[in-house]
Amino acid sequence: MGLGSLTSRAMIRRASTILNTTRSHNFSLVRSIVSTPELKNTASAAAEATPDPPLPPPRPPVNNARVHFPNPEDAIEVFVDGYSVKVPKGFTVLQACEVAGVDIPRFCYHSRLSIAGNCRMCLVEVEKSPKPVASCAMPALPGMKIKTDTPIAKKAREGVMEFLLMNHPLDCPICDQGGECDLQDQSMAFGSDRGRFTEMKRSVVDKNLGPLVKTVMTRCIQCTRCVRFASEVAGVEDLGILGRGSGEEIGTYVEQLMTSELSGNVIDICPVGALTSKPFAFKARNWELKGTESIDVTDAVGSNIRIDSRGPEVMRITPRLNEDVNEEWISDKTRFCYDGLKRQRLNDPMIRGSDGRFKAVSWRDALDVIAEVMHKVKPEEIVGVAGKLSDAESMMALKDFLNKMGSNNIWCEGNGGQPQADLRSGYLLNTGIADLETADVFLLIGTQPRVEAAMVNARIRKAVRSNHAKVGYIGPATDLNYDYEHLGTGPQTLQEIAEGTHSFFSAIKNAKNPAIVVGAGLFEREDKDAILSIVETIAKSANVIRPDWNGLNVLLLNAAQAASLDLGLVPESDKSIESAKFLYLMGADDVNMDKVPSDAFVVYQGHHGDQGVYRANVILPASAFSEKEGTYANTEGRAQQTVPAVPTVGDARDDWKIIRALSETAGVNLPYDSLIDVRERIRTVAPNLLSMDEREPATFSTLIKPEIKKEINPVPFKPSIENFYMTDSITRASKIMAQCSSQLLKK
Amino acid sequence: MASIVRNTFKAIKEKGLGTFLRELREEGYLRCLPDGNLLQTKIHNIGGKVVGVDLYGNKYYENLNAQYGRHRWVEYASKNRYNASQVPPEWHGWLHHVTDHTGDEILMLKPSRYGIGHKENFTGEGDEKIYHSKGHALNPGQRDWTRYQSWQPGKN
Repeated sequence: MGLGSLTSRAMIRRASTILNTTRSHNFSLVRSIVSTPELKNTASAAAEATPDPPLPPPRPPVNNARVHFPNPEDAIEVFVDGYSVKVPKGFTVLQACEVAGVDIPRFCYHSRLSIAGNCRMCLVEVEKSPKPVASCAMPALPGMKIKTDTPIAKKAREGVMEFLLMNHPLDCPICDQGGECDLQDQSMAFGSDRGRFTEMKRSVVDKNLGPLVKTVMTRCIQCTRCVRFASEVAGVEDLGILGRGSGEEIGTYVEQLMTSELSGNVIDICPVGALTSKPFAFKARNWELKGTESIDVTDAVGSNIRIDSRGPEVMRITPRLNEDVNEEWISDKTRFCYDGLKRQRLNDPMIRGSDGRFKAVSWRDALDVIAEVMHKVKPEEIVGVAGKLSDAESMMALKDFLNKMGSNNIWCEGNGGQPQADLRSGYLLNTGIADLETADVFLLIGTQPRVEAAMVNARIRKAVRSNHAKVGYIGPATDLNYDYEHLGTGPQTLQEIAEGTHSFFSAIKNAKNPAIVVGAGLFEREDKDAILSIVETIAKSANVIRPDWNGLNVLLLNAAQAASLDLGLVPESDKSIESAKFLYLMGADDVNMDKVPSDAFVVYQGHHGDQGVYRANVILPASAFSEKEGTYANTEGRAQQTVPAVPTVGDARDDWKIIRALSETAGVNLPYDSLIDVRERIRTVAPNLLSMDEREPATFSTLIKPEIKKEINPVPFKPSIENFYMTDSITRASKIMAQCSSQLLKK
Repeated sequence: MASIVRNTFKAIKEKGLGTFLRELREEGYLRCLPDGNLLQTKIHNIGGKVVGVDLYGNKYYENLNAQYGRHRWVEYASKNRYNASQVPPEWHGWLHHVTDHTGDEILMLKPSRYGIGHKENFTGEGDEKIYHSKGHALNPGQRDWTRYQSWQPGKN
């Protein structure tokens, strides 16, 4: 409804009041729904020049956001409700209002997506403008006088809200969005107290978007946030708008599932209950949940998450804003792996009897048996492997314990035979996840960021979209959701680039901010030192590492990897596992069990009955990441902490506590009794793991490393992750992830 | 009276004395001696018509020549421990003159997919017979409150 109808109604009203004197029943001709009485007569209210009350003090910006001025002379001054605010040129009216501390209601506008301007909820009054303007789409101009609290703005919002609610079903009591619904909240704040719509509401057929996103399309208000998210951030053209007018529908053009690794985020950005979580459907109400701000461990990105739990159960996982790591998105694996935390859990210490069957025993018995065996074998035959999901504290304890027992054969899985842990820059994403956005040429070597680290891939895609960055890729054919140049499949291409004969070399050399990303899957190769040496040669000759820009990156695969290399979990000998008599697996499930000698004694300490337990002699139940406080370093070297959200299951204990207890039984007491003491011990080894939430860049660049001349193996690079949805013991135990891999990975 | 005695002798001759005595006990004629209530029912049965037998073996009689209000009655299947709660709901209406449809007719209307069987009132019969809700400590099939599924060791 435009201003024209508003004024015409006001005129009719005035006419009717005149008529009232003669025929009083004529009053019912005009039925106003405006709830605030002073709005009923906008024209006269505006005409009455009441003396302005003194203005309240200015408000701080919404969410205490800081305004970044890329160019100080580009600042313009606008007035919001009488206050002057300075905003950079190019800001919209809505952003200017946010800086002034006024939160404008909106549905279609999302700060990380392009502007659509089709919900009309953000209408504000601008002086000298004939109509209310959609503030999300209107650029702020110098000297603009914006009014957000006037009768016209209020009435415009009420009108828009009435139109939106016309076709919105009244099923809030059974809607999963209920309680966290933008439409619900804003209709309470800005809507009218009654509607005039008496006809039938329209209904829309639900779409099948796969096992993760549930659709109730009748609830959709056509804000198109999901469509823009899919095409801009996720990079899949799966969703779109069909039809026009009241026949407008969101859907996949042809019957198909949404095959994006970020598809779960449309649940968060949907302002109504049209797109909701399928595994979470009808499981809980959002106000029953306890939120715990934690860290994701299913990949090396360390996405910031909120674990929503009810009692002893994790009910869902949602993203938490961190501009430096995951912005406000998370991958589907992060979001939906939580049902794995409830299945296949180890809850009692167990010992394998002589008949080959496991028997539940007490902690004391289990630890006694292990200590006895450990003292029987030679120290160099003791081997320890930390798993993908291990936290820094437990890895520290394991290393200290095995060192005290006389062994130094301890490593973290995924790091390969002889990892290079001397220089931190040799295994970190030195550019930083956020700074990857500013790169303009990418060279991806043996890495498929889309499956290895979906959030890093989203950053690369952002760079490709905004900077038109060029991406070169060496590795097996893959589907990255942006345009890339497939340079080759193996190390030979790399050698050509190093020699300068390949055309892509000049692209790297001429780039302003080139970024080379090496996949951690190469760590498993025999010739990894030679390959890394070639990559360093390219970096040197193309000037990738400069004082202001370090473009040589390693993209790690697992949450534990960076911390384990920081703590120096490097095995003494390459073939230690073949000669092991005592193997301590701390959540390590991907160790090749065929290599373990048949007479070796295997201890498995972990939270899931996964691949590791089948060869184990003793099982010690430990807590999962949602149940313990642990430090994890992500692929860029940022130390972050998980926080316990739910209690441990059964008789399980924290990893480091188990090792501490075992050390006492074995007679080599570890000198720490609390988490604080363990961290003090970590401080002496890797102090960067204690500066929480801060990225500690590597001090020395890899350029000081001596060049290694070794033969490279021309075998092409292999994909390091076969199945995006199932990479560790938690995701392998998850039913939702199993559904995803059977339905979405179908070729 | 004479016919009763004649019939009795005929039955003894046909079945033999042992079988006759066992049936006598099973039908509750022996219980009639200490239990006048049952004796009264047995006497009332004479001339009554068996309208139906329910799932639990209770017999329902009708005698339209009897005094009005005493023309429908039940002979319980259990001869030594009987009470009114043993009458299932489908027969209750007929027995209490709520309806003229017998229990068998009402059972035909019962949906087969749901509805649990009738259970008599076991008050005072011991804990194991009393109904306990699914969370009750004395419920043998107690509800499982663990919210996770533990790993079960297999053969290997």
